Amino acid sequence: MDSGGREVTVRRQKIKKNRVKVRLIIFLILAAALLAAAVWAEALCPYDPYAQDMSAALQPPGPAHLLGTDRYGRDMLSRVLIGARSSIFSALLLAGITGMLGTAAGVACGYFGGAADMVIMRISDICLAFPSLVFAMGIAAVLNGGMKGAVIALAAVGWPKYARLARSQTLTVKNSDYIAAARLSGSSALQIIFLHILPNTGGPILVTAALDIGTMMMELAGLSFLGLGAQPPAAEWGSMMSGGRSMLQTSPWVVLSPGLAIFVSVALFNLLGDAFRDWMDPKGPGGHG
Amino acid sequence: MKKYVIKRLLLLIPIVLGITFLSFGMMRLAGSDVVLQQAEGSGAALSQEAMEARREELGLNRPFLVQYADWLKGFLTGDLGVSYVSGKDVFSELVSKLPATLLLAALSAALTVAVAVPLGILAAIRQNRVTDYLIRGCSFIGNSLPNFFTALLLMYFLSIRFSVFPVISDGVSLRSAAMPAFTLAIAMASKYVRQVRAAVLDELGRDYVEGALSRGIPFSVVLRKNVLRSCLSAILTLLALSVGSLLGGTAIVESIFMWDGVGKMAVDAISMRDYPVIQAYVVWMAVIYVIVNLAADLSYRILDPRIRMGGER
Amino acid sequence: MRKKTGILLLALCCLTAALSGCGGQKENEGQNGAEETAVKEFVMGDTTFNAENGEADINPHHDSGGWPCIRYGVGETLFRFSDEMELEPWLAESYETVDELTWVITLRDDVYFTSGRHMDGEAVKECLEHLTENHVRAAGNLSMGEITAEGQQVTIRTETPVPALMNYLADPYGCIIDMEAGVTEDGIVTGTGPYQAVALETDTRLELVKNPEYWNGEPKIDKITVRTISDGDTLTMALQGGEIDAAYGMPYASYPLFENEDYTFSSCATSRVFFGAMNFESPVTSDPAVRQAIAMGIDKESFVKTLLDGNGYPAVGVFPDSFTFGGSAVSTETYDPEGAKQLLEEAGWTDTDGDGIREKDGQPLTLRWLTYPSRQELPLLAEAAQATLGEIGFDVSIQNTADHNTIRTDSGAWDIYVSAFVTAPTGDPEYFFAYCCLDGSYQNVGHYHSDRLEELAGQLAAEFDPARRGELAVEMQQTVLDDNAYVFCSHLRMSMIARAGVTGLTAHPCDYYEITVDLDIQ
Repeated sequence: MDSGGREVTVRRQKIKKNRVKVRLIIFLILAAALLAAAVWAEALCPYDPYAQDMSAALQPPGPAHLLGTDRYGRDMLSRVLIGARSSIFSALLLAGITGMLGTAAGVACGYFGGAADMVIMRISDICLAFPSLVFAMGIAAVLNGGMKGAVIALAAVGWPKYARLARSQTLTVKNSDYIAAARLSGSSALQIIFLHILPNTGGPILVTAALDIGTMMMELAGLSFLGLGAQPPAAEWGSMMSGGRSMLQTSPWVVLSPGLAIFVSVALFNLLGDAFRDWMDPKGPGGHG
Repeated sequence: MKKYVIKRLLLLIPIVLGITFLSFGMMRLAGSDVVLQQAEGSGAALSQEAMEARREELGLNRPFLVQYADWLKGFLTGDLGVSYVSGKDVFSELVSKLPATLLLAALSAALTVAVAVPLGILAAIRQNRVTDYLIRGCSFIGNSLPNFFTALLLMYFLSIRFSVFPVISDGVSLRSAAMPAFTLAIAMASKYVRQVRAAVLDELGRDYVEGALSRGIPFSVVLRKNVLRSCLSAILTLLALSVGSLLGGTAIVESIFMWDGVGKMAVDAISMRDYPVIQAYVVWMAVIYVIVNLAADLSYRILDPRIRMGGER
Repeated sequence: MRKKTGILLLALCCLTAALSGCGGQKENEGQNGAEETAVKEFVMGDTTFNAENGEADINPHHDSGGWPCIRYGVGETLFRFSDEMELEPWLAESYETVDELTWVITLRDDVYFTSGRHMDGEAVKECLEHLTENHVRAAGNLSMGEITAEGQQVTIRTETPVPALMNYLADPYGCIIDMEAGVTEDGIVTGTGPYQAVALETDTRLELVKNPEYWNGEPKIDKITVRTISDGDTLTMALQGGEIDAAYGMPYASYPLFENEDYTFSSCATSRVFFGAMNFESPVTSDPAVRQAIAMGIDKESFVKTLLDGNGYPAVGVFPDSFTFGGSAVSTETYDPEGAKQLLEEAGWTDTDGDGIREKDGQPLTLRWLTYPSRQELPLLAEAAQATLGEIGFDVSIQNTADHNTIRTDSGAWDIYVSAFVTAPTGDPEYFFAYCCLDGSYQNVGHYHSDRLEELAGQLAAEFDPARRGELAVEMQQTVLDDNAYVFCSHLRMSMIARAGVTGLTAHPCDYYEITVDLDIQ
């Protein structure tokens, strides 16, 4: 920064751009590996993650059980692997649902404006102000608990963020010349939205979603902590952590194994999101609602 | 200006109506009611007649819409009703929890800013160097620890190993607020360090910075005079949003540290299906939401006069 | 901008100073405390003292307020339970029955409320009348008619025969409080116990001071604070950090931390049982062979030993060993997976498609296990049973939800409902059957019916002789167990953990008496 010379700067930027690309590819590969591990978790498990063996309860990590066993004598490594599936996929699903729902609503608001805009934005106000806990309790009761309820509850309060973002992006794009040109050439609203607006607004939304995956994993874990998430014997990292938290001092591996798994995957998704943003737009993130 | 503020405050009406109706509906969907919850909590069964009598007394057996209309009528006349569980006036109950929540919110927001802003700037100007990686590494760790777990770790180290702070809070005091505030600040600061870093980097990449530097103005001056000023609005948005959620209470942290704030009140009320308290809580959330957003908008304007009032956000 | 950075730094410094300054304060306080050794203070942490448990205050006439009232040494009842759960006099000296409906109670003459008022017949009459007017459950139990008072004698006429009337009066709601002093806005009442309540904050704390005029000896502690700590881990660390002197409701997983010379445990079996009620309307559990197989397929010993770390007792019937009519007075199936498999095989439940789950006439052997998370033992039991029953060929699906109350009323939604229940809060057996097993019982959500049980229940309701009541209780338990209508898994072992140096804090089978005149601290 402090050294001058325009050529040097340009070269630097090129190197930087290349670096960003390499970084992005590395994190993509790592994320793919994580997803693959989740998909083929069963094949990777050394033990049946649900098989109890009371005589081997709470064994510390060792050659037989690399991450030890929980209080039912279940192998922690196997449970962490199987848990990857519900934890990661729920978070991805959640990011997907909120992202799409919010974008759809936001683009519609931004593009059409008028009364629909008013109504949808007021609804988004209500959802934003609504405590997710009350939502989660209500939905958990209707769906009899489980991850499904937690995902729906978080989606219900999470979509407005994307709606705001998509709406402001749409408003910016909408008044540009090429949209006017497209409109003049007789394109329908849907065509314009899909061919022009979405490609131009998708970037910041995807970046936000990628950065959100980690946060969503944490929020799901929080709901599990309150008993509104995964149900036993399902292996889910958040509920494994909250279920074992009173053993932090006596058998720390029961809490630390899923904790480490959460840490690694949240960090990975965050890094991926960062790299993705840098690659998409070196100037930085779009406005956060 | 005045008109704008009034217009924004008027937003409260649809939000309060929508949010209270929604929460009324959600809690009815959730099944069970305060009578059943209490009967179960007491461990001793009540007879069916006794429970029906209690429902009759609370008006829980009337149609849903009638109950809502009734609540709304009370609300409009300034009466939030009486808690089903404690039998106390809901409004005064809510007000009595506010000092604790306000203190915790202020303290954790202050800690967050004090940590996140300097570290975020430092990470940005040392981009891709050891300092940057170190700061980002820490922020990843802080960001991926669930807060109940952070709370446990803090308790274990700060209270038991080094006995600096007490585990359980003892009234509303700074000392008691320290542990829950640290817990909240760790998670928030970790998140904001990255956003501050991104905002600063964004500014540093702009042409005017390069221009100023090439004119020979020292980097530190540019940083202070221009970059920070422009980042301030990003920081303010963040802060407004987190203060909003802090004022709504932090259910998990408050109940772990026995911090007697709004969040704990809400969780207890939800688990007991204490409808009047839940409704009051939801109204409080709506009020915070509107005010916090308004405050954030107004401060943008003060910081950056280019933004027109009433303009698109 | 420099100014702003400066302000920020200044703020940060102030904050640090304020926080650490407060830290310094604590040391000072500690020194002050050490100087004034004359004042003995005691802090108790309790996970259950909260509005959610119906304990928003200590008013025995409001919800379950009687529990904290009696537990923390504020109120006392006319009669109390011995360690064998037998009735013995407390505020009363004796009672006699004139006829089926009339009881005469003679009170001690040397008891005073902390308000200074003498506890005489009139005071007890006022209290009981206020109780039956305000407490629905008490009114139902006591069936109180007219009460007359004369000196230290109280005569109670009940409207229907209530053989267990004296037991009911020993329930926490029967704490005798001074109605002239009344109930304060915070829910504080004036009792006769060794400690007097001075301040109460719902879900937070209760402050007590010693009652120097106590009729049964001098209390040894000057000031007691009861802290509500809902979170088990916070309770653990508070005791470890020395912020509390004793704890009630510690998670089992934390026990190993306290199993050393720095702490003392006081434990005993209570009548709180973890049990499953079979649904007689379900196509699966209406089959007697299936019910028997479930009873044979739950490994109670391992559950108690491993998952509860020994903090429980494998249950046979409704009541624990400490009751004369409990424990091994009855018999039931024992853990026998092979026997259960054979039984199911003979009853036509076979695994035809080789998926490990048995079927009969196209109906898979699926067991919907309804339970709830607020008692830490229940989810553990569900997961343990899921594994052992799974080996026999059951497909156990667990529904662990706080919403169990509404779900259980829909008999099409579950097969076995597993809950925790205090089966004999007043030491009398009638309560459990009346609430859970009879045709008219509210809690009989599985719609169990037995002609034999109905007949025995009729006899019990009219039987005044305690010994004969015990015999009937044994017969009734055996009837229920022979039908495998319920499977009783474990009785709770209640433990209080205290810092070494705390004496006189003893766990009691009825779970009512915690802080007594004997409590002391070194």
